[in-house]
Amino acid sequence: MAAVSCSLFSSLLQSQTRSIRLLHVCRTLAAVDKGNLAKLRKKTGFSMSNCKKALEMHENDLAKAESWLQAEAQAQGWAKATKLAGRTTAQGLIGIHIEDNVGAMVEVNCETDFVARNEKFKALVSQVAKECASGATPLLEHGLKKEMMAQEQMKDIPTSEGKKLGDLVALAIGSVGENMSLARGTRLVGGPGVQLIGYSHPSTPDDDMLVGKFGAILALRSSGELTETARQLCVHIVGMNPKEVGKLSDPKAPNNDDETLLVHQEFLSDPSKTVSEVIQEEQLEIVDFVRFQCGELNKAEE
Amino acid sequence: MAACRVLRSLSTSHLSPCFRAYQYHNGSLASLARSRGFPALFQVRNYAEKKVFQRDKPHCNIGTIGHVDHGKTTLTAAITKVLSDKALASAKRYDEIDNAPEEKARGITINVAHIEYATDKRHYGHTDCPGHADYIKNMITGTSQMDGAILVVAATDGVMPQTREHLTLAKQIGIQHIVIFINKVDAADEEMIELVEMEIRELMSEMGYDGDNIPVVKGSALCALEDKSEDIGVKAIEELMKHVDEEIPTPVRELDKPFCLSVEGVYSIAGRGTVVTGRLERGKIKKGMDCEFIGYNKKIKSTITGIEMFHQILEEAQAGDQLGALVRGLKRDDVKRGMVMAKPGTMKSHDNVETQVYVLSKEEGGRSKPFTSYIQLQLFSKTWDCAAQVIVTEKEMVMPGEDAKLTLRLQKPMVMEKGQRFTLRDGSVTLGTGVVTNILDNMNEAERADLMAGKKAREKKAAAGK
Repeated sequence: MAAVSCSLFSSLLQSQTRSIRLLHVCRTLAAVDKGNLAKLRKKTGFSMSNCKKALEMHENDLAKAESWLQAEAQAQGWAKATKLAGRTTAQGLIGIHIEDNVGAMVEVNCETDFVARNEKFKALVSQVAKECASGATPLLEHGLKKEMMAQEQMKDIPTSEGKKLGDLVALAIGSVGENMSLARGTRLVGGPGVQLIGYSHPSTPDDDMLVGKFGAILALRSSGELTETARQLCVHIVGMNPKEVGKLSDPKAPNNDDETLLVHQEFLSDPSKTVSEVIQEEQLEIVDFVRFQCGELNKAEE
Repeated sequence: MAACRVLRSLSTSHLSPCFRAYQYHNGSLASLARSRGFPALFQVRNYAEKKVFQRDKPHCNIGTIGHVDHGKTTLTAAITKVLSDKALASAKRYDEIDNAPEEKARGITINVAHIEYATDKRHYGHTDCPGHADYIKNMITGTSQMDGAILVVAATDGVMPQTREHLTLAKQIGIQHIVIFINKVDAADEEMIELVEMEIRELMSEMGYDGDNIPVVKGSALCALEDKSEDIGVKAIEELMKHVDEEIPTPVRELDKPFCLSVEGVYSIAGRGTVVTGRLERGKIKKGMDCEFIGYNKKIKSTITGIEMFHQILEEAQAGDQLGALVRGLKRDDVKRGMVMAKPGTMKSHDNVETQVYVLSKEEGGRSKPFTSYIQLQLFSKTWDCAAQVIVTEKEMVMPGEDAKLTLRLQKPMVMEKGQRFTLRDGSVTLGTGVVTNILDNMNEAERADLMAGKKAREKKAAAGK
């Protein structure tokens, strides 16, 4: 590497000396044009050393360096991903994407919660959820199809750009510099009459991007359009962590606080009612739900 | 072992020379901590085995922030090494800093490394937390409030996408003074370093810091640690600490602030008058000084006519003293526990504040269920407690184990100020610990009436509003 830059130094020196005389920025030994380096870095966001390497290889040609960087990004990302593979990823986000009666929920992990708060990471998680949802086949019979996907299956899901989800994550690892992993995913496909609604906590005001530390997708049947109550039920599932929907005939838990059946739980937004009372009032029928909590897989392993 | 760990964290922060704010801010928390057998007992018990802290330099708390791979821990290790060569610190190995054990501060599990060292000018407590949530917990519990920070950026990578989040955090926990260390310059060249510096200054300005004038030091923590290339190694670390000494101001000692005492008890002594007792949280008081009692919607002026400690007359009491003060012209019923005796005009009572609260998880002894807006909780701070209505902003609900921004509305205006710590309780359960981040305007009549109104009335109003 040093040898390469040395030889480039000498070859570029002549052209540089002329431009230096014209520019008031007087740098004595410049193998790479600083302005170009700044431009390239700003435009692509790749690390400083990679931008420099790209310019050195393409003799300061911005366009060529950029296309090289873009082409190299995937390989660089995988290299970085392999390097960081051993590091634990305990933070991350849950992403939800619902389109008509297909819903997907995914968990993507990273190392620090700083990254989990970053816009780029949020966009990645929401893209993963979207790609996951788009791979679904429609369900013709009544009911609900629920698929759970583990890490290995997630990696191989093809994206709309002809790559795989694993490639997307590797690219992100390359630019963020932290290990990441596709922890798990789920895909729900509802038959005719089944509607899906999702909620992520802490909720983001942006409706296109449902990402958070917790997430839930609720599948229900309703006579009309889904109301605010349906969303509140989804919030309830995130907050109260029920294990199953349960039936009214199922026995209640001795202590109200330990209730794990959804129908018997106190409704979060109005504790004077139980969930079963609420769904009766609103004439809803709960088909099923899925709830993800970020990092709960890691905890279970411990 | 647990005791030692408590002591270790105490020795870096709680025993710090300048009477740090949190130590005195909050009577009720202190007593809460005491009831857990926290400070006093352990200090005495372990005193003989420990080195005596020399209070000869002002104290300051700093921390490192930055990307995981940019060398925060290496830099911390390098600082202790360089300073230990001057006999101002004991050198810490990388793994000693990196694998900090989980600590419990006020019942909250916190992941943080506490290290201490000194320069020629000051003594430092150094904090390194792995994540955003840990820094927030640290701020809320006041384990070691940071007066300034060192932002570490590697010259090879430059500013990372998440550096923005690091700076957002610094803003959020109230860090106004930052010194920048560009690390790994041994692996980069002039152009790269210069561009990285430009990038950081730009970002700092964008985030509301004085980007053009923030000190930037370039070096290699690894070189310093391995005693290689002195210019970018040891010398860079020395330069960095020089800037830290100069740039981050020493916090005002509690002793030098206007006096303030939270009233713990009020007694009527025949032939003498009314005596209030409590610990002087800040400042100094002398016989003959004017004072003001504030709290429970009242404000009463008086004069201190005598000070006693351990049944002896005291000429001057200082922050930290547990004392009784004789006050002129007041009846016993005028003053009550929870009021604050302060220098006239320095303290105010408020009933509407913005706070940052950490809600204890079930494992930490908190609630198992989330809560939503309008929950009624009991707020404990200093020596008072008061019912408060909680408004959850920015979220639908607050889950146990999360931190949240809450607006608290008190039934009565009580003494509150920015940085004051408090505990929220729900019946017998400690729900969370928080810190006041912003004082809002006191409520007007209508808002107060709303506060008292029940849920039904609120719903009615909302329905009418539609």
